[in-house]
Amino acid sequence: MATIPNDVFFATVIELNKRLTAKEFKAEDLARAFAERLAQLGPRYNALALPLVQEARRKGKAVDHDLKIDRLRGPLQGVPYGAKDLLAYAGLPTTWGAKPYAGQVFNYNATVIDKLDTVGAVLTGKLAMVELAGGGGYRYASASLTGPGLNPWDRTRWSGGSSSGSAAAVAAGLVTFALGSETSGSIVTPASYCGVTGLRPTYGLVSRHGAMALSWTLDKIGPFAHTAEDCGQVLQAIAGSDSQDPGSAGTSFYNVPYARPLKELKVGYAAVDFAGRAQESARAPFQAALAAIQETGVTLVETRLPSFPYGPILSTVLAAEQASNFEQLITSGQVDQLADAVQIAGLKASLELPARDYLKAMRLRRLIQEEFRRLFTEVDALLAPGRPGPATKIDAPLDRGGFQPPAGTPPGLQGIIQAGNLAGLPALVLPCGFADNLPVAFQLVGAPFSENLLLAIGREFQAHTDWHKKHPPET
Amino acid sequence: MKLTRRQLAAVVSATALAPAQTTAPVDETQAARDRLKANSDALAQHDLPPATEPAFRFKA
Repeated sequence: MATIPNDVFFATVIELNKRLTAKEFKAEDLARAFAERLAQLGPRYNALALPLVQEARRKGKAVDHDLKIDRLRGPLQGVPYGAKDLLAYAGLPTTWGAKPYAGQVFNYNATVIDKLDTVGAVLTGKLAMVELAGGGGYRYASASLTGPGLNPWDRTRWSGGSSSGSAAAVAAGLVTFALGSETSGSIVTPASYCGVTGLRPTYGLVSRHGAMALSWTLDKIGPFAHTAEDCGQVLQAIAGSDSQDPGSAGTSFYNVPYARPLKELKVGYAAVDFAGRAQESARAPFQAALAAIQETGVTLVETRLPSFPYGPILSTVLAAEQASNFEQLITSGQVDQLADAVQIAGLKASLELPARDYLKAMRLRRLIQEEFRRLFTEVDALLAPGRPGPATKIDAPLDRGGFQPPAGTPPGLQGIIQAGNLAGLPALVLPCGFADNLPVAFQLVGAPFSENLLLAIGREFQAHTDWHKKHPPET
Repeated sequence: MKLTRRQLAAVVSATALAPAQTTAPVDETQAARDRLKANSDALAQHDLPPATEPAFRFKA
């Protein structure tokens, strides 16, 4: 058994793959080192749902065999990763982060797990999440089978939800990349709070077959990683048509350089989002990040979002679809086994949602899509903070509004998370500084299937900055 | 500890007179219903042309 150098744990996908193909170490040793690290340190952050040490070693050994015979499968070959525990993994528990499903076992893999297996990536563990991805709403970070997601930068802070373990594991160097999912904010929020790069793909670009269905018309699966480039590599591997996902757009993604020069791009933003609508401690880092993003060559232009009640529309769509998905859980009374009282109540109440409200929300959603189509003829992307400030305290009530800007503050791009999810838009989260010794990030949102544009800006931004290279001390 | 009848009576009456230590029960389900109703009210403020069909297709 060879010793694996410590610097691998925060290496990028590209760096690791280079070292593997150069035979600096064996994939089996790398897999074991990462899997044991995740098994040992994952519980420190409540980030681990299921360790897969033996499975990872076996896969690593298979990768070594492939490398020996020059069967090269691309940049993810031999790279260790984790998957949110709402993705089916055959033969072992997939809990959806919720007690009623603690013993659930599927006999097939989620499509994304199979796709990553094909390119030689090594699954080292399933990662913790907010129960049922938090669809019913939740008051406390403790709304999870594995306890509150603790932030690797400060364990008195939340790692964000619902993909808590995925973001925390990348931030703490327990995996090189991770898969998470977003229905409304579940990639953007934990990526922002944990200071990692996160990519919410366009709706339909990545198959959800084998993933817990929370909301058919909102759910997306996407990567967390150390860099925008790594997110692009992972997206290329997991994107593509899937006849087993009725929402599949039938489109592939190729992680190639963006054709247009960045200096031709106009990025819409609202200055107030980075000032009066941001928490005070985050304003200076956000201002510095605004200056840094202009060094990529893009032009920032003031813009505003189309005017819609995004929150109520999203909540209505989500309530209706989750009620149908979890009807049996709710009517059987098993819903009462969930950890969070607000989540239980939200699921129960959602069964009573009138059909006319769902249809009204979906009709308004059509107008939202049309308005965003128009907006993206004026700007190429939108820029906003990922969250208005750093991670919340672990015991803070999450449903009580959090930071509120002073009355009369202009709305800026308020509601961009809900709006982006309703319109099925991709978003790239980029760490952009620190406030109160915790990471803050911004999000770039683009037109459907504009991931290459977002990633091009992200790569260039990360070439000019080093916030994505910072990692928390091991405490 | 042995209590006399008089001491026991004093303890019992003091207990009976003590204000009940209850917290207001929170009906979370009713609160969730109220949130759905508030959402419904927000949607109702938007008139839509009859030809606006629901967004069931998401192709770009």
